Amino acid sequence: MSAREIVAPAVAFVVLVAVIVGGAAAVPFVSGGQSDDVTNLADRQTDADAVTVPEAAAEGEITMDSDADSKTVLIDRAHANQISDEKLSMLVNTLVANGHEVDFVTQEQARGPAWNESLRSADALLVANPNQPYTPGQLAGVEAFADAGGRVVMLSDPASIQQFGIFGFGTQQQSNDDSALNADFGVSVQSGYLFNMHEYQQTFTSVYATPGDGPLAEGVDQVVVRDAAAVSTADGQTALTAGEQTRLSTTRRADTYGVAVQSGDVVMVGDTDFLTPESAYVADNDVFIGNLADFLVSGEKTADAPAPPSEGSDGPGGPSEPTRPTPEQVA
Amino acid sequence: MRNDTSAASAKTLFVVAVVAAVLVSAVLAPVAYGAAQSAQSEGTVSVITVSGTITASTVDAVSEDLREARTNESIRAVVLKVDSGGGLVAPSERLYLEVLRTSEQMPVVASVQGIGASGAYYGMLPADEIYVLSSSEIGSVGVIGPGGSTPVPDSIIRTGPDKAQPTAEDRRRTIESLKRQFVGRVMEHRGESLSVSREEVAYAKTYLGPEAASNGYADGVGALPTAIDRAAEMAGMEKYDVVRKEPPFRGGVFLLAAENDNETMVYKQGPGTNGPVPVTQPLLVDEIPNHDPEQATYDSEVTRNVSA
Repeated sequence: MSAREIVAPAVAFVVLVAVIVGGAAAVPFVSGGQSDDVTNLADRQTDADAVTVPEAAAEGEITMDSDADSKTVLIDRAHANQISDEKLSMLVNTLVANGHEVDFVTQEQARGPAWNESLRSADALLVANPNQPYTPGQLAGVEAFADAGGRVVMLSDPASIQQFGIFGFGTQQQSNDDSALNADFGVSVQSGYLFNMHEYQQTFTSVYATPGDGPLAEGVDQVVVRDAAAVSTADGQTALTAGEQTRLSTTRRADTYGVAVQSGDVVMVGDTDFLTPESAYVADNDVFIGNLADFLVSGEKTADAPAPPSEGSDGPGGPSEPTRPTPEQVA
Repeated sequence: MRNDTSAASAKTLFVVAVVAAVLVSAVLAPVAYGAAQSAQSEGTVSVITVSGTITASTVDAVSEDLREARTNESIRAVVLKVDSGGGLVAPSERLYLEVLRTSEQMPVVASVQGIGASGAYYGMLPADEIYVLSSSEIGSVGVIGPGGSTPVPDSIIRTGPDKAQPTAEDRRRTIESLKRQFVGRVMEHRGESLSVSREEVAYAKTYLGPEAASNGYADGVGALPTAIDRAAEMAGMEKYDVVRKEPPFRGGVFLLAAENDNETMVYKQGPGTNGPVPVTQPLLVDEIPNHDPEQATYDSEVTRNVSA
């Protein structure tokens, strides 16, 4: 085989490869490549102003107007109360800073006659989200306490109400005290939470409430409650009312819903979140917390109420009842 | 002898040529058939499947199909075959943007199979038309994510108070902002046909097919062939080809388990969970039927979602 016979095919090979590969490389230059014009759709479709949720302005101070002498406020911790120390801290600090005493009742301190002894030495009682039922004796003690002018503040989130009726007092199966007590206190709650799809702070369950009547509403322009229950009173005052177009989750009806009511010496607030350090300075929550603290310490309770066992009493639910052994008491 | 050899070799060559011709034809005939058929059709409708939880990887696959539809000149319309209850927020927005980009170039019609809710509904918003079955569920225009603030253990060192620990307010603002984006885009794309107000849309209700078709969440009741035909009609094609783009096979115990684990993790970042949440923690845009935060446990929601 001569050299010529090899050269001719080799040249043909090289030329063919050069033409084909070179041609392929040249195509994009001719066709201009494949890149599309890219529109920035993400930016075009975003209205930054419409989707920006502003931070809630938090300012102000929690102050108390009351110049009452040192009072003792009892906080119920005996009924598996679902409220954190953090939530209570703003209110407790305010009371202590203004020269009042705050005592917590533990489960141990609520057994038998101890509950009434605790109440006897106190001027006000704060009950928040109880998750264990009260004994008939304990209920009678609280009733006697309120009758004697002791201030009672009930705070309850919707979940707790759903489970335990009105601050736990509605669940007494063995006793009829609950209805009597509710009537005495003159407050009631509806199951479900409040929401407002029209005007709300950051999320639809954070509802604005406007002031109504009574000392709790003084100086308040707007309070923000989060995930609140609707409370009402028969013959008392509605201190805070949820804003227009607020609806109840269970009925979906738009109505005028109270979130804080006062009936004599008893106050019921359908929310605990307004107390959190995070929410305490939002809107006029600080003013409302101050008013609540004032309410707790401005009662005039008769000394020695509920009455000690030796004095006795006749009517049902009277002060003597708590001294009886209460077998159904929850340990 | 020489003549015999030459005749034999000519015969062999003839046979080889016939065999080669048959082989080459066997390869070329389908191509010719396809070409002839394509010459008959005026274009192609690409049916792209969007199914399962919307995550970054599902959207990657769908995006690739949509990009191909945009760049392939023979594809003149797209049908989204949707069967998904939603997924994560950012992938849902990516899906929305990819579908929007495609719908600006060619007709896009969505066909909802079982469910097209939340993030899946987000993704199909830019479609020119949405078809549902009588049993399809669509809607759920809303966002769900963890709330509250979780304490960071002392064993973790951070550089600032907001590092990996959003406050409850931060979370509320984030979720509300995401909701506004979602609702805003629903109003933008469907506002003219919707008979419900923006406020009602924000209730995040899920509607059954017939109701959705009458209140404007969808354009009509119709199955996949209807949607394909409608897309072709909108693209001006009487005779058309259909190509189907299925998501990559994702069966197998391992993958399924991994996916469920991932989902569980997202759901479990609800109230009551502990530990810091990374800032990149995605928020779920998901449909949770009859969601009641007070009663439902997060585990049962996961079960329901997975089995849905």
